[in-house]
Amino acid sequence: MITLFRSLFAPPRHLVLLLAALWLGLYLSEKRVERQGISKDSLNNIVFYSILGYIIGGRLLFALTNLSAFTQSPLSVFSINIDLFDPIGALVIAILVGFVYGQRQNLPFWSTLDALAPLFAVLAMGLSISHLAAGTAFGSPTTLPWGIHLWNATRHPSQVYELITSLLVFGLIWFRKGDSPAGSDFLLFVALTAGAHVFLEAFRGDSTLIFGGIRFAQLIAWIVLAFALFTSEVIRRQEIVS
Amino acid sequence: MQQTQRRIIYLLILMLSFGWIFVSADQSGASTSGKIPAPQQGFLAPDVELKTPKGETVKLSDLRGQAVLVNLWATWCSPCRAEMQTIETVYYEYKAQGFTVLAVNMTYQDDPIKIMPFVSENGLTFPTLLDETGEIANAYQLKSLPSSYFINREGIITEVVIGGPMSEALLRTRIEEILK
Repeated sequence: MITLFRSLFAPPRHLVLLLAALWLGLYLSEKRVERQGISKDSLNNIVFYSILGYIIGGRLLFALTNLSAFTQSPLSVFSINIDLFDPIGALVIAILVGFVYGQRQNLPFWSTLDALAPLFAVLAMGLSISHLAAGTAFGSPTTLPWGIHLWNATRHPSQVYELITSLLVFGLIWFRKGDSPAGSDFLLFVALTAGAHVFLEAFRGDSTLIFGGIRFAQLIAWIVLAFALFTSEVIRRQEIVS
Repeated sequence: MQQTQRRIIYLLILMLSFGWIFVSADQSGASTSGKIPAPQQGFLAPDVELKTPKGETVKLSDLRGQAVLVNLWATWCSPCRAEMQTIETVYYEYKAQGFTVLAVNMTYQDDPIKIMPFVSENGLTFPTLLDETGEIANAYQLKSLPSSYFINREGIITEVVIGGPMSEALLRTRIEEILK
């Protein structure tokens, strides 16, 4: 079944899965947004401008960091090749664009992030499914009975692990009850996703290793987890004070 | 939940997860995917041993020490045809630095009569190889044409580009990377 799925959504068709996740996530976020006192239009606009920033920023940053290649063929800036892209730079630009738009529209910072939390959670699911389709973010070799055959070895189905945890994270956010301070849904999403990453990265076969075989991504995820827990304590304390 | 209880739980989570980072550190080299040949970034490139239309045998592993672009193509595939001129341009420019191209034609699903006229009409000077049985398509788990594999001097795939046509800037950035 996984083989059929991977054939159907082999790159570059795996991007369809990400687009589907974006659509579904936005639809679910729209259903919750008014609860946060934000209009659907504002939510759609912030997502639209951030995506625009992601696409344009990713391409321009790639061109700037590979200037010599682009000066010899400047029209390549408009190429349809999705590989001419700086994904981390694009993410930074998208966050900046979203932040600036939110500030200009006077959107409440934490409530906006809470409204976007279902979108982020569904995108995380979409990302894990697209990883499965593309065979990226693959697991380390294993003899466990649920291992999948990928890249000429039986491996941990790390993408399936990712999918299960992201489904759980989505469920916890979506069905969460009770009054919590603004920002709680978003910080819960960040903390759970980072925590899951710390645990699951251990089963990956493509980790970047640093000193003593430590996986770099685990260290980053742990810092993000600590930051999310610390910030959630800060916003709780601020609410008590106010 | 009380504030103190919550803080203790957070601290416990952070301590346990920090410990897990060290417990799960990769001592065995499980992350060194490059040991196994597979058509994916970070792996050793599956070996290619095919004949040119003139009957000469070319083997990928014999090119170790050179930066190689393995391009899988067919004459019926329009993006494949569209990118060939650009590949020729960069091949001509970088070959002196140790860069070569293996253009593997998917002969088993192509019209063999059309291959050489296409090569000469476009003035392609890099080696064209014929995959008559689908052996290379199978080894590279071909799903779309064109598919391009950028292989560094150690024989490791550093980038896979599925689809095309590849732009000149894309080719230049990837070639400069594998030439390092």
